[in-house]
Amino acid sequence: MRVRRPGAARSVALIAVAAGLVGAAAFWGLTAPARLDPARVAALPAGDPAAGERLFWAGGCAACHAAEDAEGEALRRLGGGLELETPFGTFVAPNISPHETDGIGGWSRADFANAMLRGVSPDGRHYYPAFPYSSYIRMRGEDVVDLFAFLKTLPAVAGETADHDLAFPYSIRRGLGLWKRLYLDDAPAVALPDADAQVRAGQYLVEGPGHCGACHTPRDAFGGPDTARWLAGAPSPEGPGTVPNLTPGGDLADWSVEDIAYYLESGFTPSYDSVGGSMVAVQENMARLPAEDRAAIAAYLKALPARPDGTGDGAGGDGG
Amino acid sequence: MKRLSVILSAVLVALGLALPAAASEDAVETRKALMGAVGAAAKPAGAMLKGSMPYNPAVAKASIATMHAAAMAFGDYFPEGTSAEAMDGTTAHPAIWEDRAGFEEQIAAFAEDTAAGLEAAGKNGPADLDAFKAAMGPIFKNCKACHEDWRVEN
Repeated sequence: MRVRRPGAARSVALIAVAAGLVGAAAFWGLTAPARLDPARVAALPAGDPAAGERLFWAGGCAACHAAEDAEGEALRRLGGGLELETPFGTFVAPNISPHETDGIGGWSRADFANAMLRGVSPDGRHYYPAFPYSSYIRMRGEDVVDLFAFLKTLPAVAGETADHDLAFPYSIRRGLGLWKRLYLDDAPAVALPDADAQVRAGQYLVEGPGHCGACHTPRDAFGGPDTARWLAGAPSPEGPGTVPNLTPGGDLADWSVEDIAYYLESGFTPSYDSVGGSMVAVQENMARLPAEDRAAIAAYLKALPARPDGTGDGAGGDGG
Repeated sequence: MKRLSVILSAVLVALGLALPAAASEDAVETRKALMGAVGAAAKPAGAMLKGSMPYNPAVAKASIATMHAAAMAFGDYFPEGTSAEAMDGTTAHPAIWEDRAGFEEQIAAFAEDTAAGLEAAGKNGPADLDAFKAAMGPIFKNCKACHEDWRVEN
């Protein structure tokens, strides 16, 4: 027989409330957006727009922030609006044109650096990692301010974009603080102890501004990159199909450094199949880079540790 | 009599199911063979344009003619139910069946560009590498344009 003490239920309730408060406080503390040290931003040189253009193409900003199927000059109009359908919901690319109120015209250098390198907005909220700051965190600060200076030279585009439309719990922006604790890391994605200067240059372009891993590395259940299978290919994020393995463990095993560089320049594989899907826009951006950048990217891909295909269940076959 | 009609209808159902499936596989095999010919024709064309193979007008013309023949037939081999979503062994994008007119338009552009290239090639093929570049350039743009929208990521 159990003896019920008066007030026991109230104690239990109080303990539950206290535990809840401690949990909430812990959540709040663990998920706080972390900004850059202002001294680091202040020490950066004035941005050089001409140098920033190279980063604009390497990063492929226009692929998400320009209008869908934009070509030529339209690639410089970054009014946003493109919708990205994912298992977490629909992300809408924002306006990053220099428009004073609808775009980033009112931003400071520190605002831009915090967005790129920490995934934090000017008003102190987390950005969703659909914006690939988990790659940009590896960028040099000087490159970030150069890119900012270049973006300032582009046409201002009016129009605010719609909000993201996400499922719970992904709709809780603050929770991204936990995601960042798990995945936000400025260390190289792969250790390449024997890398020469060219491979290092390629590593920087691929792992930093190029954010190639966003599509070519498989993701885990929380949408973080599975770095043990870095660039090993993944199921297509948009319907059937696969994103190819870029390590020497996949189809690129038979490609030379020149073959990869030529593909990035022309869009043709060594067997004269052509680039397709969302890689078309990426390849056309890469074609605007200096030849030494494409050669560096190719050298880095050939230096990667070979991994089996991470493509999972996708469509097989080739040609038609 | 009743039993016979049951058997007959069972046979008909079996045939009805089996026939389109076999036809679909044939269609996929055929379009893959056609695209394989385009790829094989693109290889020497690309190598000559890149300078890794000496220019030969007969080879240049054969490349263009092969692509034109494929372009004329390719669109006929995309029956319903043969997208990469519906079956394995193909990279045909479901969008082909969602926007058939757009797909047909893309293939018509390929046929037009190859026809123009073939006419420019004349009887003996484009006279020199520059003439070949002018004839082949617009044709090669079709590869990327079509694979961007109508082939799944691969």
